[in-house]
Amino acid sequence: MNFLRRIPRQHLIAGIVLLLLVLYPVVNPWQPYPQGVMLIAFLLAIQASSWNIISGYAGYISLGHSMFLGLGSYTAAIIALHTGVNPLWVAPLGGVTAVVIAIVFGSVVLRTRGHAFVIITIALLLSAQIVATNWDGLTNGSDGITLELPFWSADFQNIPFYYAFLILLVLTVLFSAWIARTKFGTGLIAIREDEGKAASIGVNTTVFKILAYAASSFFIGAAGGVYAYYQTFLNPVGAFAILGSVLIVLSALLGGRGSLYGPVIGAFIVSLVNEAATVYGGSTQSRVLILGLILVAVVLFLPAGLLPTLQAAWRKRHPVETKYTDQTGALSHQTVAVVRERLPDAPVTPGPLLEVRGVSKRFGGLVAVDNADLTVERGSITALIGPNGSGKTTLFNLITGNMPVDSGTITFNGKRIEKLAPWTRGHLGLGRTFQVTRLFKDMTVLQNVVAPLPDGRLRTMFADAVSGHEAARARDLLGVVGLARFADQRAGELSYGQQKLVELAQVLMLSPELILLDEPAGGVNPSLLGRLTGVIRELNQAGVTFLVVEHNIPLVLDLCDPVHVFARGSCIASGPPQQIREDPVVLDAYLGDDWRPQDAHA
Amino acid sequence: MIEKSVSRRSVLAASLAATLSIGLAACGSRPSEKAASDTDKPLVIGISLPLTGDFSQPGTEAKRGYEVWADQINKAGGLLGRQVQLKIVDDASNQDTVVSDYTKLITQDKVDLLLGTFSSLLNYAASAVAEKNQMVFVEPAGGAPNMFTRGFKYLFFAQPATAPHQADVFVDWIKSLPEDQKPKTAAYPTQDDPFAAPVIESMQKQLEALGVQTVYQSTYPADTTNFQAVAQQMAAKKPDLIAQGAVFEDGVGLVRSLKQLQYSPKIMFQTSAPSNAGQYSSGVGVGSTEGVFYTVSWHQDAKTPKNAEFVTDYKAKFENADPAEDAADAYAAAEVLAAGVTAVGAVDQAKIADWLHANEVTTILGPLSWEATGEPKGKFLLGQWQSGKAQVVAPAEAATTQNVVNPKPDWK
Amino acid sequence: MAQFVQALALGVLIGGIYALMASGLTLIFGVLRIVNIAQGAFLILVATFTWWLWRATGLDPILASVITAPLMFGLGWVLYRFVISRIRGQAASMSVLLTFGLALVIEGVLNIVTGNRFRSATPAYFEESFRLGDILLPKAQVYGFLAAVAVLGGLYLVLTRTWTGRAIRATSQNPSAAALVGIGATATAALAFALGSASAGVGGSILSVLYPFFPASHYDWISRLLGIVVLGGMGSLPGALCGALILGLAETLTATYGSLQWSTLVFYLVIMVVLLVRPQGLFGARLREDAA
Repeated sequence: MNFLRRIPRQHLIAGIVLLLLVLYPVVNPWQPYPQGVMLIAFLLAIQASSWNIISGYAGYISLGHSMFLGLGSYTAAIIALHTGVNPLWVAPLGGVTAVVIAIVFGSVVLRTRGHAFVIITIALLLSAQIVATNWDGLTNGSDGITLELPFWSADFQNIPFYYAFLILLVLTVLFSAWIARTKFGTGLIAIREDEGKAASIGVNTTVFKILAYAASSFFIGAAGGVYAYYQTFLNPVGAFAILGSVLIVLSALLGGRGSLYGPVIGAFIVSLVNEAATVYGGSTQSRVLILGLILVAVVLFLPAGLLPTLQAAWRKRHPVETKYTDQTGALSHQTVAVVRERLPDAPVTPGPLLEVRGVSKRFGGLVAVDNADLTVERGSITALIGPNGSGKTTLFNLITGNMPVDSGTITFNGKRIEKLAPWTRGHLGLGRTFQVTRLFKDMTVLQNVVAPLPDGRLRTMFADAVSGHEAARARDLLGVVGLARFADQRAGELSYGQQKLVELAQVLMLSPELILLDEPAGGVNPSLLGRLTGVIRELNQAGVTFLVVEHNIPLVLDLCDPVHVFARGSCIASGPPQQIREDPVVLDAYLGDDWRPQDAHA
Repeated sequence: MIEKSVSRRSVLAASLAATLSIGLAACGSRPSEKAASDTDKPLVIGISLPLTGDFSQPGTEAKRGYEVWADQINKAGGLLGRQVQLKIVDDASNQDTVVSDYTKLITQDKVDLLLGTFSSLLNYAASAVAEKNQMVFVEPAGGAPNMFTRGFKYLFFAQPATAPHQADVFVDWIKSLPEDQKPKTAAYPTQDDPFAAPVIESMQKQLEALGVQTVYQSTYPADTTNFQAVAQQMAAKKPDLIAQGAVFEDGVGLVRSLKQLQYSPKIMFQTSAPSNAGQYSSGVGVGSTEGVFYTVSWHQDAKTPKNAEFVTDYKAKFENADPAEDAADAYAAAEVLAAGVTAVGAVDQAKIADWLHANEVTTILGPLSWEATGEPKGKFLLGQWQSGKAQVVAPAEAATTQNVVNPKPDWK
Repeated sequence: MAQFVQALALGVLIGGIYALMASGLTLIFGVLRIVNIAQGAFLILVATFTWWLWRATGLDPILASVITAPLMFGLGWVLYRFVISRIRGQAASMSVLLTFGLALVIEGVLNIVTGNRFRSATPAYFEESFRLGDILLPKAQVYGFLAAVAVLGGLYLVLTRTWTGRAIRATSQNPSAAALVGIGATATAALAFALGSASAGVGGSILSVLYPFFPASHYDWISRLLGIVVLGGMGSLPGALCGALILGLAETLTATYGSLQWSTLVFYLVIMVVLLVRPQGLFGARLREDAA
């Protein structure tokens, strides 16, 4: 029993349900009807669970996902028709077709977001229907394709299909669970929460989304082949029906998108209710009406879905002990060892690390950055100060690639980077924090810190994010900022100052050579601020270069050298802090007449 | 994870209970073991119909047709001396549901006999379930050609002909015209539909063989709503004959566009649209129906055996409504099944199928007989709208009038 | 040549009517950033009601829009206040799902109340045409076109000449700035949704004469309208006008000179390509928040 005790309850329940489902036809073999009802529920669950990868994890809602079922069905049926092979044996090829189509079209359509993506997925589904209708030579057009009856005895009629779909369902759920455990899965959730931020912590959003779309198509495609054989007939209208897609979305939404078992539970409920409506509902009701009402009700009243809502209610009834920032723990932590782990041992050679030359950025008529030049020396803690609206944050966005430059060049470590994707710049060793923190609020603190990818290798992408080396490192980094106790809490529940610290830990996960800090001191309490500067100094000694935007002038003058002053989109003065605070141009443009050096300690 | 092990015990207990309950529910027999016919009980016929969803209209008519038949046969003492009971369930026009419905009817409810559902789309899947379980499956609809290429032994189509042969009767009529009245040119627009398109394709082939020149041919998708362009192109070619593969709304749409463009061909043929009596005439305007040809499997005034009875009983049962073709087809399907059962004298599926393959059955649609594939060997009726009423003009033995309107007058 | 001019004339007439139907969709998107998938169902709902009115009282279907437009205005208002407004601020995709659900509800209700059958209103003029030389202009289309132009003109005046209209346009261009100058976001949004629904009121009445319809026809209509709006630029009224004319002409011309079978595919391809290459459409301005 001790072994069972260690398994989380939800997996234990899932295991028991699975065992019952496996046993059911053995105990009760001569009941093709309930088996038939169950296997349709399995099919819907396979689809909803797969859909969950792109739409639940990554947040890209596809309203055309039944397309992959149709593609799989057609693949298996066409091969069966032309070669005489049993469609069951070639069903996995249906998954391959689905993946190929998902990659080809995904690489194009995933450039859109929000409603545009939803509309495109519907258009894709309907286009597939039109192609299947008109490509007579391949698909038999609107006549459809008929397949042979199953080769096994009619006594066992539904049992092989039952197990085929059940196996596919188990594989789908395991696959989905595995994805959720990897850094790939964490990256997908990061994309859902904040795509721009995800890109800045090294998540190659293009590749992640395409892979997620492909991953969400394979098992549906494979199931399609089995389904075609089960139906023994398929035609364009049935294979590419929009209502099929609506059922998928409804199931996942009802059960809880983004959760592992939610879509499966939702699919079982939707299918069984549907069957019950057939058997007990009489014929006067309109199924379309009921479907519509449920969809409206779920969107309005249960947008998170059943499972997450129940889990939230459970958490409310069983609250966890409140914890405070572990300041003493943070202050006593050995920082450098942890952070240094991945840094190159090569001694710091002086010279420019980052060079910005003649960079400009316009928003309509407004010139935010105007032909700006900036150099950050290797090993320095460089400050960038200037009045609000002078273009500092925009310059950060241009350096990290969150916005494209209009003109000019940016060189990092001797490499031109102004045309590179944000994540590539992250992989090169460029990390940043944001002025207003942009943590992934629905992820746990630990997941937030595990999410960044220091490089673009597949090995890193599919590394375990829940246990193992990456998670251990993230815990260490949380320890550095004194938030190790909060590892399993939702990031959104932390205070603003705490979030700032988590964001710093997040950047450190990238093992960056240059860290851009956008107002690191804002909202952080004084004692932690001391710790923060301490961390920055230690890291700097370990070879990390900093570029800091900050309004806390005393902090800047204390910590940074050199200091650059920005006004109206370009650099108006540079030099060591002592020189800057005496510079009349700076005083005039920024610090104001009444600011005098003697006030610096205020 | 905030997991506690408090209720672990109850989870295990619940699962144990569930295991026990499925164990207890384990009963029943192999699907292939047919229950011995209990001669005291009524004979149950299982049917799944699309009573809701896309095909709800024909589905509801079919239900009425089956019910009229069951009332009549029960009044006459039943089938094999047993009362007949229909077990009709709704499949919501859904392929998955129709499969689970027939599976339930056969294996769970253990019905004695089956009757078919509506539209090929559903019958493809439903007939496969019946075939697997070796149950005779007489379908009132589902004439798509692929239906009969699967080598099914228990499938019978209770209409006179499949789609490619539907227009044969119209071609025969054209052949019978004197040379100067035969159309010289023809236009063939058709919807991309498994029932409409084959009718027009086969007609075009046959008429081209007779020397009728094709001046226009097009296949338009099912969701086309705008027919002015099609009408305009045809009007420019001025064909003598327009033969349209029309499901319904496209038939109405094309006629309306032709009227707006003021082009009226000498002969106008549409597949099934004009057979939807009330909806068609109100859609195109009663005056404009004059002279439009169509093919149909059944007519209200046909002098076939039992037809008058069917119409009377239908009207009496359903508030004096006119029966639709779909109801008559369903009635005929039931007649076919009953003929087989009566001839064999027992509910023996294999024997019933053998008998139907070997014999001709008299129905309200006329005599029906089948190829080994279940494909019927007969011909459709040629209908024509005359003075606001649908008439049968060919073949002669089924005609309700000797008069044929030719050429068609202008649209009114 | 005559054939070409005829096709052109028909295309323009249809385009004008499409423009009216699409105007509501684009207006609602412009102000609320919601793609109202239920717009097609609104059209069918109104068409069915108009048909019933015409059968019961003999009221001319196109004139019936005098009744249907205010009714739809009210329905739109109520729907916004009690349903749509509840999900403001949520992800855009949720609003698509919600309005999709509403479309299904309307389809379901129509299925139950009116049955699953085709209808079309056939007033005396529906099959007559005006003749201009060789060119025939169907009367129903001409009347529908004129009604559409009148309503679009009215809408344009409301949006440019009245305070409320300016408030709507201001909100659609910059919601936060509009709020700053005292334009109530909720009231404006409700108004925009109601106006958009009212335009479907007129469009649906016209539809009832021009095309046979049944409860599930809304899928065809919403895909067509989406195509128009996406092409013209989501949220742009002149864009919808242009998109509608282009689509109307493209439909008639492809049907005249090309193959009908693949024409629908071309249309979906247009939606996809435009959304990918120029998501702001022909007319839409690229918004600041899209740039990130």
